[in-house]
Amino acid sequence: MSSLVHVVGAVLAGLGVVVVVAAAIAAVWVREEYVRLHFLTPVTSLGAPLVGVGLGLVNGWTLTSATILGITLLLAITGPVLGSAIGRVTAQLDGVVEQESPE
Amino acid sequence: MNGWLLASAVLIVGGLGPALYLTSRGPAVRRLVGLQLAGAITVLLMELLAQAYGQSQYLVVPLVLVVVSFAGTLVFTRLLRDRS
Repeated sequence: MSSLVHVVGAVLAGLGVVVVVAAAIAAVWVREEYVRLHFLTPVTSLGAPLVGVGLGLVNGWTLTSATILGITLLLAITGPVLGSAIGRVTAQLDGVVEQESPE
Repeated sequence: MNGWLLASAVLIVGGLGPALYLTSRGPAVRRLVGLQLAGAITVLLMELLAQAYGQSQYLVVPLVLVVVSFAGTLVFTRLLRDRS
């Protein structure tokens, strides 16, 4: 049973790595800046949880898994915030939105 | 060489490679996207390396890196905005 859990965990982590590599290659591939921003989110909101859950399954009910869960949660929270901040800077530099942020 | 090291190698070549390419060319905003991508991928890479070497205390590094790269990238967004 534990070996099956280990295999499932390794498969999930491998899927997470595949998602991250695909998102990174796609971010280089596209030409438009606003479209490129979309490929930041799969890394932090899909790839990171897959890797985190996979590693958590492999390590079991330990402090290691809790640390990995904390890292995954932090990534999932900060990733979209950074994406929107970079999107706002891009729009400000393009003149789409006003330069000064509301105080 | 175990499976976790292999996954780490794939993540370095396939993940960090494109991210570093993004940071090396083009306008500043494009490089910032590459920086954020590199930070997130490095966090995952360090998790995998901690698992590969069986040292859970290595997980302190990606835990701190998440917070620091978040603040650092926000500083860059602020600097890019003020420069224009």
